Amino acid sequence: MEKSHGLMRTMKDELSLGGAIMRRFLSVFLVLIMASTFVFANGSAESKETSQSGRTLSVLLSEEPAQGDALVNALNRWAQETGNTIKQLVIPYEDQLTKFPLMAKNKDLPDLVATTRLGQLYPDEFEDITTFLDKSMFEQQALTLIGQSYTSKKYTTAPQQFTITCVYYNKDAFDKAGLKVPTADDPWTLDELYKNAKLLMDKGGVKYGIAMDGSRARYDNMMYMYGGSLVVADGNSFKVTVNSPENIKALQMFVGWNNTVMPKAIWAGGTADNPADYFKNGDVGMYFSGTWNYNTFVNEIKGMRWGVMPSPVGPKGGSAILGGSGLGVPVHAKNNDLGKAFMKWFYAKDNFQKYLNDDKGLSSLVGVTYHPQDEQVIADYQVFQTEVPKVPSAFIVDESSNWRQYYDNEYRDALKQAVNGDITPQQALTGFATMLSKKSGWSLVY
Amino acid sequence: MKGSHTYRHVHEWAFWGFVAPSLVLFFLFFLIPLVLSVGFSFTDYDGWKRLNFVGLANYAEMFQDKNFYYALGRTFRYTLVNLPFKVFIPLLFAMLATSSYVKGKGLARTLIYIPVLLSALVVGITINWMFSAEYGLVNFLIQKMGGKPLQWALNSNLATFVISFASNWSSAGFYMIIFMGGITNINRDLLEAASIDGANSRQTFFHITLPLLAPTTFLVVLLSTINLLKEYALVQGVTQGGPGLRTTFIIQFIIDKGFKQMQYGYASAVSFIAMIIFGIIAFVQFKVSNEGGEN
Repeated sequence: MEKSHGLMRTMKDELSLGGAIMRRFLSVFLVLIMASTFVFANGSAESKETSQSGRTLSVLLSEEPAQGDALVNALNRWAQETGNTIKQLVIPYEDQLTKFPLMAKNKDLPDLVATTRLGQLYPDEFEDITTFLDKSMFEQQALTLIGQSYTSKKYTTAPQQFTITCVYYNKDAFDKAGLKVPTADDPWTLDELYKNAKLLMDKGGVKYGIAMDGSRARYDNMMYMYGGSLVVADGNSFKVTVNSPENIKALQMFVGWNNTVMPKAIWAGGTADNPADYFKNGDVGMYFSGTWNYNTFVNEIKGMRWGVMPSPVGPKGGSAILGGSGLGVPVHAKNNDLGKAFMKWFYAKDNFQKYLNDDKGLSSLVGVTYHPQDEQVIADYQVFQTEVPKVPSAFIVDESSNWRQYYDNEYRDALKQAVNGDITPQQALTGFATMLSKKSGWSLVY
Repeated sequence: MKGSHTYRHVHEWAFWGFVAPSLVLFFLFFLIPLVLSVGFSFTDYDGWKRLNFVGLANYAEMFQDKNFYYALGRTFRYTLVNLPFKVFIPLLFAMLATSSYVKGKGLARTLIYIPVLLSALVVGITINWMFSAEYGLVNFLIQKMGGKPLQWALNSNLATFVISFASNWSSAGFYMIIFMGGITNINRDLLEAASIDGANSRQTFFHITLPLLAPTTFLVVLLSTINLLKEYALVQGVTQGGPGLRTTFIIQFIIDKGFKQMQYGYASAVSFIAMIIFGIIAFVQFKVSNEGGEN
């Protein structure tokens, strides 16, 4: 009897304990329900606000806009004029290949995309800009290079920032080293550039004679100066020339530069440092970059005199690479019409002129040119113009092959390994050539 | 009888009520992706529109890819070298944090634990800034003391050291807490008895504390091994796999193939094989340690 009594008491205790546990679980569950209701209520309250205060144009940018960014200024002017708002969505360049397809799959695309490559990689996702903009208003070279998809020939983006590679130089270091800036009529050879880079390090007070963005395109200029290329046309197809003797010489020179006059860690990998910061800090004599940095440097470099110099010439001549970013409207964007409306406004001559005055870059619109007022800016702009004829035909052929659809990072990895000394330049280029040939089906020349 | 039936019912409800959220998460974020990944490994899936069955082609390519073996070899070397630090440093911290002779234990525990709360990518980027060859704090201090700045990013041993430092710094607090739990669960009577029998602190540690911590130590070794084998966010933040490819470990290899080169099928095949290898390593650890010291 006592035993059953005890058992009953134990069961009663356990039941009440179980009940207490259930009550606690229910109360936690209720709190979670309330919290999620609060979140969703907030969310829907936000979207109500958006529709009441005009529409929102979501814009995808490739990097955090710098102070005085020309495109952001244009977006803000449009927003003020039309009573709409802008929502910036920054997806870094390296992450776009992952995130953009996911956004497209989920039909969660921004209304406007400022991009260097998404329009060419995913042409089906973008509107054909010629359906709402007049093709003839654009400089044809800019429109083809930036806006045309190589697979479908559709114009998926309109050129927004038309850029060219260029060389910035540290005037204070040049003066200290007693160096005269080369002119467009008398540019330096690669050997002279190297010799003067060493002089800048010895006497100019800089840590590095030369710095280059860790971008494959910056290296490619060296390759073209040596007369090399990645492919050559072969009827309707191409042949791989990545490991040509000219390319190997170019990479050998580049590896030598990295070991002596350049910050090796940028090209060898292992650091997230931006060589633009090295130049801004006055640690670099000559910085190989592009016109997209010009406006940033004008706004941000205050403690140092600097300018733009003509790029050097190699054994087979000079080289400059055209490029830039374009504006495109995704087909499945929620406010697709707003994106088109912005683009029509943006490419109106007056508005594009204001944008160009901020950007201080090359114009992609016929009849619209940047007219700088500042003497120094005028001089720098003239140097940019002299770079345009240097664009080699080999670059146009390489671009038309769209080789990057097969491999892209692997080329950069091969260059990294060569600069780091893990493999020889010949091994690096031959390895990549073999991979590209196998994947693309193009035969090897060497 | 009716009472006991209701009692079992309540228990069952409570059991499923507590287990269900974890089960749902397990299904959503592990089991379903695993099944999908295995499926993709037999295709040429590009992450978006292309999806064709290719049989074992991805596996064949992987076993002929020397970069796969290099990445795996680097990962194993990194794990072997760092594992002792992942165990001994937190154990030392835990011993100090539970010692009656140490002052300021609460503050020390908090400071050691704070890095655990940071995301691995934030840790990696912060460490990258600290060890930057040009403008980093560490080289600045070295130069102030009259030394030459070190090329952290160019020397693969130094680069690996920086990653190891970051990894140990960010995880020491977590494993310290696990060891502290094990140490406080040791029966005080045993330690008192040892003290009465004349054992000094060293003898007590090696002959009583350490053996009784075997299950805890096994848990730390297992978790550390898996985390070291999977190291990615930290590497990405500190060295991005450089210099060259010297700190490109297997997870970075998989992510580069899958997300940067859009070879989801190939990346899925590599990740499946990596999962099997990691599972074998964990199994071997179980067996070598007699199932965590439980047997």
